[in-house]
Amino acid sequence: MQEYLRLEKIRKVYDSKVAVDDLSLSVPKGSIYGILGPNGAGKTTTIRMIMDIIAPDAGSVLVNGHHPDGNFRNRVGYLPEERGLYKKMTLIEVVTFLAEIKGCTRQEAHGRIDGWLEKMSLREYKNRKVEELSKGMQQKLQFITTLIHQPELIILDELFSGLDPLNIELIKDIILDEKRRGTTILFSTHVMEQAEKLCDFICLINHGQKVLDGRLSDIKAKFGKNSAQIEMDGDTSFVKEITDIEGVTEFPNYIELKLAKNANSHEILKKIADRVNIRRFQLMEPSLYDIFIEVARSGATYSVENREVNQ
Amino acid sequence: MKKLWILISREYAQVVKKKSFLIGIILTPLLMIGLTVLPALLATKKPAKTEHIAIIDLDNQRVGEKFAEAIKIYKLPSGNPSYEVSEIMKINPADSQELAAARQKLDSLIMNQDLKSYLIIGKNAALTDSVTLVSKSFSITTGSRFEKRLSDILSGQRLEKSNINLQIDSVLYLARRIDLRQEAPGGKERDFMTMYMGGIIFVMIIFMTVIGYGQILMRSVIEEKNSRVIEVMVSSVSSFQLMAGKIIGLGLASLTQVAVWIIIGLGIYSYRGALNVSADISSVIFNPVLIVFFVLFLIIGYILYSTLFALIGSLCNTDKEAQNYIFPITMSLILPMILAMYIIQEPDSAVSTTLSLIPFFTPTMMILRLNVISPESFSLGNPIIVQAIIGVILTTVTTVLVIWLAARIFRIGILMYGKRPTLPEIIKWVRY
Repeated sequence: MQEYLRLEKIRKVYDSKVAVDDLSLSVPKGSIYGILGPNGAGKTTTIRMIMDIIAPDAGSVLVNGHHPDGNFRNRVGYLPEERGLYKKMTLIEVVTFLAEIKGCTRQEAHGRIDGWLEKMSLREYKNRKVEELSKGMQQKLQFITTLIHQPELIILDELFSGLDPLNIELIKDIILDEKRRGTTILFSTHVMEQAEKLCDFICLINHGQKVLDGRLSDIKAKFGKNSAQIEMDGDTSFVKEITDIEGVTEFPNYIELKLAKNANSHEILKKIADRVNIRRFQLMEPSLYDIFIEVARSGATYSVENREVNQ
Repeated sequence: MKKLWILISREYAQVVKKKSFLIGIILTPLLMIGLTVLPALLATKKPAKTEHIAIIDLDNQRVGEKFAEAIKIYKLPSGNPSYEVSEIMKINPADSQELAAARQKLDSLIMNQDLKSYLIIGKNAALTDSVTLVSKSFSITTGSRFEKRLSDILSGQRLEKSNINLQIDSVLYLARRIDLRQEAPGGKERDFMTMYMGGIIFVMIIFMTVIGYGQILMRSVIEEKNSRVIEVMVSSVSSFQLMAGKIIGLGLASLTQVAVWIIIGLGIYSYRGALNVSADISSVIFNPVLIVFFVLFLIIGYILYSTLFALIGSLCNTDKEAQNYIFPITMSLILPMILAMYIIQEPDSAVSTTLSLIPFFTPTMMILRLNVISPESFSLGNPIIVQAIIGVILTTVTTVLVIWLAARIFRIGILMYGKRPTLPEIIKWVRY
């Protein structure tokens, strides 16, 4: 996979607060890349530096291996976390205007707008003012303005905040269509579950620093299936004496076991089954949330190597 | 450049399409004329047609007849007399009933517009100075003419009554007072009120354009911040383009407005006879030197102040918050109007010259001075031309500095929501 975007040790300090601290990452072309982290981790500042809205204090942003030229902005579609459009303009006016300042001609914009309005079921509102639309419709309209100029990089900041479930499905489909066309998608969120469903690659950041990045499947493999849930009848106190079990958390209906590295889950299952009647035994994949907590607590920095990217 | 043009067109269209723009174009000059120019114009207006006057004479010493004779010297441009005494009623001052009846009769004549005004000459007027002018509307010019003529007549009566043995006519001739005709160098008729009004018209146009469009600009920045459109905008264009697009777009809208006003003004000028407007003001305003500097100062002044308004907009989250910041701007624009009387009287004084060279005052104060001094050519031998050119240069340099400073604060301010930044923070932004 070819690299599209590369951040090299970018840094931004506001007063005494380090917003982004020597952050480096590599976004493969045509991938969905998630920048994840809690609120205030430096996601929006990173995105603003990518788009040259603010200049980094140090480090550089490279697109296809080069410093981006002045036209780079025209090739980016940005959906900010805080959304809004010109309320007094009509739909067609606002879409045309935002397409034009992205370098589209008026004809190109007009040629594409009907298809989009159709797809988003906003067609009948074409000549209405933005302020007449409901909040959900305005979100869809804003999404159109993000894509109308056919960007090669789409940046979605907290995409799903404020979207209703129907629109989430609609927009998810459109994002996957864009990915199929070869568009690179940068996705920032603090909700790990969303990233888990959509992203090919992720980068976890906390306090402006990268704590973990790489291909999502590689990350999950590295952190392994290190816990198991068991539902069983009878006394469970003997379980903690079994070798390779490092911890037991009891819940009302089941217990969760923390397994040692390289533990043989088959052996463990056998040992328990000898003593009591098991109704369910399930090896759990760690969620991104668990991984984030674990990594953030340990304070270490992980980079899951990806041979395809780091040629 | 193409993006800038798209931004400019949007800002321009958004303002010009609004109904308020059309209303502003028509209403503002009406309001301006109604509030400042018209009352003064009417007050100083000379009669346009013969005014009929009646006199109630309680004195019975021929003051009425003498006055009727004296005011014949005032003529209309057509050659007809300005005033005509249609009736002199001699009434015994003791008969208050007859006086009341006469007043009632004349009052109703005034109401029916058959009579412009009437004079009541009191008993022993020469000693008591009791003369009353009754009129529905009052003209300063007519008032001062009547005052002079009556003073002369009554002075004559006092001389007659004294025991000094003099040739009364020759004393009166020697003591006669005149109506001063005021002319600018070059022979144009011009009086103080005309100069004042001419200057005020220029200052008002600059003031209203700057304050009006400055505030529209500021609100549009605040609104884009509040609606968060700014987020999308800065990802598409640079913050400098955004600011420049707003300033130029709204500037063109304001120039459109001023152009319409000028066309209206020219229309009034060409029909001035029918509309009865004094030609003096037009002759003051339509001076090419003045027009060139006016256009220059209007444009520079607009850019200077609207940049400040853009800066304020970028720092604030609500209109209310912005009002505190606007105050000094409004003050620096109102000050020239407060000082206008002084500057018109002393256009060459050190104070006037110094004030008019302070960049924030230059656009308005220099125009006031240029209007009074009214240079006929761009000759550098005339100090006012040199000063005006220095003024243009200083203001332009200041504007460039303000734009530089504002651009640095604007690009950070527009992305800051919530808390209003403190001054030390703003200073830090400049250095980022």
